Amino acid sequence: MKTLTKTWLAAVAAAILVSTLTTSAQAGDLKDASQIVNRTNEAQYYAANDGRALVRMKIVDGKGRSQRRQFAVLRRDLKDGGDQNYLVVFDQPADVRNTAFLVKKHASKDDDRWLYLPGLDLVKRIAASDERTSFVGTHFFYEDISGRHPDEDKHELLETTETEYVVKSTPKSSKGVEFAHYTLRINKKTFLPSKIEYVNAQGKVYRRIETAKVDTVQGQPTITRLKVSDLESGGYTLSDVSNVGYDLGIPDDIFVEGSLRNPPQKWLR
Amino acid sequence: MKRKILDFPIQHPRLIFVGLAALAIGLGAAIPGIQIDTDPENMLSEHDPARVFHNQTKDQFALHDLIVVGVVNEAEPEGVFNPASLGRIHELNERLKSIDGVIARDVLGPSTMDNIEQAGPGTIRFEWLMEEAPDSPEEALAIKEAALRLPMLRGTVVSEDGDSVALYVPIESKDQSHRISEEIEAIIAGFGDHTDEFYITGLPVAEDTFGVEMFKQMAISAPLAALVILLLMWWFFRSFALVLSPMIVAMTTVTITMGTLIASGFPVHIMSSMIPIFLMPIAVVDSVHLLSEFVDIYPKTGDRKAAIKEVVGHLFAPMLYTSLTSAAGFLSLTLTPIPPVRVFGVFVALGIGIAFVLTILFVPAYIAALPEKRLTALLSAKRDASEGGLLGRIVEAVGARSLRFAKPILVVTVAAIAISGYGISQININDNPVRWFKSSHKIRVADRVLNQELAGTYTAFLIMKQDTDATAEIVAAGDRALQGASDSIRGRWDALKAEAEVHSEDEVSNVADSLIEATSDLVFDTSGEESEQWQSVQTALEEAQTRSKTFQNPEHLAYIERLQEEADALPLVGKTSSIADVVKTVYRELISGEQKDYRIPGSTEAVAQTLLQFQSSHRPNDLWHLVSPDFRESAVWVQLKSGDNQDMMSVKSELDAFLTANPPPEGLRAQWAGLTFLNTVWQDEMVGGMLESLMGAFVIVFLMMVLLFRSPVYGALAMVPLTITIVFTYGLIGLVGKDYDMPVAVLSSLTLGLSVDFAIHFLERARTIQTETHDWRQTMSLMFQEPGRAITRNAIVIAIGFLPLLGAPLVPYNTVGFLMAAIMAVSSIVTVVLLPSIMMQIQDRLSPKKKSAAPGIDDTPASIATNKEQTA
Repeated sequence: MKTLTKTWLAAVAAAILVSTLTTSAQAGDLKDASQIVNRTNEAQYYAANDGRALVRMKIVDGKGRSQRRQFAVLRRDLKDGGDQNYLVVFDQPADVRNTAFLVKKHASKDDDRWLYLPGLDLVKRIAASDERTSFVGTHFFYEDISGRHPDEDKHELLETTETEYVVKSTPKSSKGVEFAHYTLRINKKTFLPSKIEYVNAQGKVYRRIETAKVDTVQGQPTITRLKVSDLESGGYTLSDVSNVGYDLGIPDDIFVEGSLRNPPQKWLR
Repeated sequence: MKRKILDFPIQHPRLIFVGLAALAIGLGAAIPGIQIDTDPENMLSEHDPARVFHNQTKDQFALHDLIVVGVVNEAEPEGVFNPASLGRIHELNERLKSIDGVIARDVLGPSTMDNIEQAGPGTIRFEWLMEEAPDSPEEALAIKEAALRLPMLRGTVVSEDGDSVALYVPIESKDQSHRISEEIEAIIAGFGDHTDEFYITGLPVAEDTFGVEMFKQMAISAPLAALVILLLMWWFFRSFALVLSPMIVAMTTVTITMGTLIASGFPVHIMSSMIPIFLMPIAVVDSVHLLSEFVDIYPKTGDRKAAIKEVVGHLFAPMLYTSLTSAAGFLSLTLTPIPPVRVFGVFVALGIGIAFVLTILFVPAYIAALPEKRLTALLSAKRDASEGGLLGRIVEAVGARSLRFAKPILVVTVAAIAISGYGISQININDNPVRWFKSSHKIRVADRVLNQELAGTYTAFLIMKQDTDATAEIVAAGDRALQGASDSIRGRWDALKAEAEVHSEDEVSNVADSLIEATSDLVFDTSGEESEQWQSVQTALEEAQTRSKTFQNPEHLAYIERLQEEADALPLVGKTSSIADVVKTVYRELISGEQKDYRIPGSTEAVAQTLLQFQSSHRPNDLWHLVSPDFRESAVWVQLKSGDNQDMMSVKSELDAFLTANPPPEGLRAQWAGLTFLNTVWQDEMVGGMLESLMGAFVIVFLMMVLLFRSPVYGALAMVPLTITIVFTYGLIGLVGKDYDMPVAVLSSLTLGLSVDFAIHFLERARTIQTETHDWRQTMSLMFQEPGRAITRNAIVIAIGFLPLLGAPLVPYNTVGFLMAAIMAVSSIVTVVLLPSIMMQIQDRLSPKKKSAAPGIDDTPASIATNKEQTA
């Protein structure tokens, strides 16, 4: 079923591609902002059915002092644009090695999250809260890693350029968010965002996420270098993704509490 | 030569007027470009090691100066923890963030802080403490309970008793704090009717507000003093036209001096703002001497040009010398290591020079140019003026008695000196910028209330630092792991090191991280034995890196914990905070949420993972206010309930003693920073510096006196009034328990300058008269005529003239006003009463065996003529 959808989507995309080549550039453009954002959400967070990646993050503060984080991520989608499971296992710095997160992401309710701290030999459930807390001290928010649900915002197509859609997204509820709205620049072909800018209540851009590099892995356009900048403090986090694999057949039964203490090494490398 | 200088103004008064007006207007034009600098930090040179370290610390730990906004509610049973009050606090908390100059991301308050707590068994929750204002009293209380459970907030954001709340507003620069505090007040004013009380304080607000008030005082106090001086002189000299001249001299002197200061690009610091107040009496004193003599001599001849020539000729030398000695007194301030005090010293000295030149040039020109009828008025009032009226009779009577009771007076003086000596030993060296405001000022009120409610609004930082080179140690661990490895592998390793070195310079990363990343890649990219070898290098590097994180080590955290316990036990310390508190709090919530688990976990890894959780909050960067990202430097925040320098000093010495008795592990170095601490550094330099400069000035003035009188005995005599005045005033300060602070310290140089002025005039005149009378008793009774009156008049004019300063809302101005009066009173009394008594006792040593030539400084026949007339 899922594969069918994918194939169908690919066919449509190909048709659009062909049509853009043959007719005017505007002919195949999407007009509905929500539709564009949904496609982006899928392109960025739901590529293939499952995936694996090694992520290296370098955190640089406003004074140029750096720290880093390195972890492996396993993902399996239950439904495109819907529920999915994540397992994150840290490797660097060495003093947090084997710290692990398990996330069962739900489209219609709060995510279930667990945490394992090997140094404390402790598995703990993390209660739901807003998702705009820092992801392990980086400039990314938890929500940037797991994806913000498109339904939480109202989307408005501001502009369609030669290569990009420009969408303004305004939160339906200001609870739990620090921004007034954000602007997404979305690549028309890949549907991956090239730049996201967050605007505060004073109308100032205070935060920016930029795609620095996109590679096609197993036919999937994949962001392999992403930079998030805190424009107020001058700090930023650079995220490099390598060792990407899709449709590895990662079984659903590894996304369980037991994997926190004993990570499935077979799938992690 | 002197003749020419003296004749010039009388012959060309217009030229003098136009010249001075041009100078005053030209330089005065620079005054509107004034730049105010009220930052006490600038009392230290920019390169002062303590200040450099303080600023490094601020930068390293991203610390900003804080405005403290306290909210107290006495009317509600739960204090501010009711929905309405918290609603206002929430609104304030949110709106603060958009004030220009406020560092929004670091604002501390219930709405911008995270709570971490248990959310059911085995579950932990991170959330905003107060994302929205509560709807019900229960929710309000829940917020209080949560906040009180967080050591970082307890006593800081929420008072210990759970009744009040404080917001901490970090600002980009101190010189904006007055404006920002006004904007905060405006938000509060918009809240309408309520029972909450809002208080705003903090060192930056105090300092910046002081600048604003200081500016007002320069426009109010100094001119008011000038007005009082003018009225007093009018009363003494009975001629408004005449007494206008000293005022013009004073005003022009101040205008030219301040104009020069500002035009030279110096900011007007708290010290320099007092230049007008210091220059005014000095400028007036010389003119009063001139006028005093003029009104005595002029009526006798009726020839004003001759009279003024005679007076100036006669006073030129003593005025030159008093100006030189006063200038020397102030120039000695350049010996202090405190930049604003040096600027102050140089420009007051310059002002004294200007005042002298103006007196010599302007006053004669002014008198020469006065319309005839103004002076006729003087002739008719002359009896009163020259006989001195009531004042004259008093001076004369006191003088006569003082001669009769010479011995008792000496005894009383010795006793007074002894008591003053005791007073000096009781002097309390202390300062606190908040105390520069009167006790009733809103900043002082806020300071009192908030330091009672909260753990303390004054902060100092004890910085613990690991000095060794972490990178070198990590690289060395890699080297060791490759001992005995093949040449090719070691070659590869050397290349990696070189690459990492280049990499760390090219982009932001550190050598250790690059090496670990590179070796971990090699572990994957190679196979078999080589892969294993790289694995061992990677492990060695990682172990060394983990070891290098000093403040993730439980042993070091435990040391900090002990240090904090020691500090917390001190009564002046309201609270301390450190990385250890964060670790313990997060650990407690991770384990059980119960107090028994409020402790430091057992391994570096456990600490690192605990902190990783803290970093998953809304405010991960709060960690870097307590520890550096490499975990090799940590800041212990010490909150004090008092910003008094001596309180800071006592806390510092207690903790320094602890550090000495219990040395920190593995060569950790401890060093102090923070505004509260920095104030003690410049105070220290100031007290030492002032003492040194006073001593220096004392010696210089003594040598000048010996030179002036060509006699060591006269030189020593001239030092008597100023010595006693200094001893007495500072003894008084010690006895009444007034803190020895910045203004008090600087006044010593003024004492030196003004007291020696009276002594020079008195001694010079006495000697001149004695050479004619050859009899000391007769000389002294003559001295109690015009010379005694001139000194007494001067003293009264200055002493009363500065009383308006007592009305200023700023304590340093009150201090200057009070001490000025005391200095004038003591030095004039000592000069008029004590000097004659001493001189009578040692008259044999004063008069040369043979009749000698005139006293060197004054060889004009005019002075003798004057004295003859007076004798007649």
